[in-house]
Amino acid sequence: MPDDSPKQDPDEDLVARARSGDTRAFDALILKYGEKLYGLVYNMTSHKEDTHDLLQDIFAKAYHSLPRFRGHSSFYTWIYQIAVNMTLNFLKKRKRRSGGLSLNEMDSAVHQDPAMVDTTHLANPEKQSKLHELQKRLNEAMLTLSEAHRTVVTLFDIQGVPHAEIARILKVSEGTVRSRLHYAHIHLQAKLQDYRE
Amino acid sequence: MKPTVEEIGSLLALKRHERPEEGYFDDFLREFHQRRREEEAAVSGPAAWMKQASAWFSDLGGSKWAYGLGLGYAAIAAAFLLTPNSDPIQQNTPTNVGLEIRLDESAEIEQLPSLDLRPSTQGMTGEQEF
Repeated sequence: MPDDSPKQDPDEDLVARARSGDTRAFDALILKYGEKLYGLVYNMTSHKEDTHDLLQDIFAKAYHSLPRFRGHSSFYTWIYQIAVNMTLNFLKKRKRRSGGLSLNEMDSAVHQDPAMVDTTHLANPEKQSKLHELQKRLNEAMLTLSEAHRTVVTLFDIQGVPHAEIARILKVSEGTVRSRLHYAHIHLQAKLQDYRE
Repeated sequence: MKPTVEEIGSLLALKRHERPEEGYFDDFLREFHQRRREEEAAVSGPAAWMKQASAWFSDLGGSKWAYGLGLGYAAIAAAFLLTPNSDPIQQNTPTNVGLEIRLDESAEIEQLPSLDLRPSTQGMTGEQEF
């Protein structure tokens, strides 16, 4: 997690150079935050191609908006705000277009998430299979969350962003963040009932 | 049995390690710059101005409504000032009304009696005699 001190933005120099037209500085910002934003968008959309296209659009938007970036927040918070807003808009459009992503359309990679392949269980196929099943159910349960709840779960539980930072990104109070997380966890608990090891 | 919140948190935290495949961002950067060059080549002139204006407007957040109201008011005021008035102010320039004044030559001209311009010999008191 980058140090998001309001006094000193760690990306100040890169941002200043990118604003003055240094494309290499902007490339450095893409490389610095690309992976984190990929994780955010992928866990929100559950679709690799959508994630790729959205990520291109997010960085293009940031590039064009950089001259208007005033530095009231850190670059990290600012680009996360762009990413969250664009992803939520995309999900709304996708829902209107096709009624949302069905579980069949969900990216197969999400079902077979390599993050869940725990090497300590490789020797135990039964345990590994159970873990895969739990992962599949977890991903399915994530998709049944409302977009607002999925956003806070993705940011807090998956990305490890602190409550205060999530509040800044979403422009809501910390209390709202905690409340959304609480209800999202209750929802996930209910969906994952009977799958406890 | 329901998993605890901590267990759900641990399961979700495993997804933190999800990453795109190796070399993904090299291709991503190439595509990003390719798209940017294509955009810059395609968009120029008034279209570029409009695009920048709409991007600026969409970035304003909540204050865009105040800006929108201001712009709307300015547009109405400009339209009011620039629309030609239906009751223009009368100009002092002469206009040809198509009328001609003619003298009636057939009418008799009344002749006045001839005037006696000689100096008077019967002047009043104090008048000088020549």
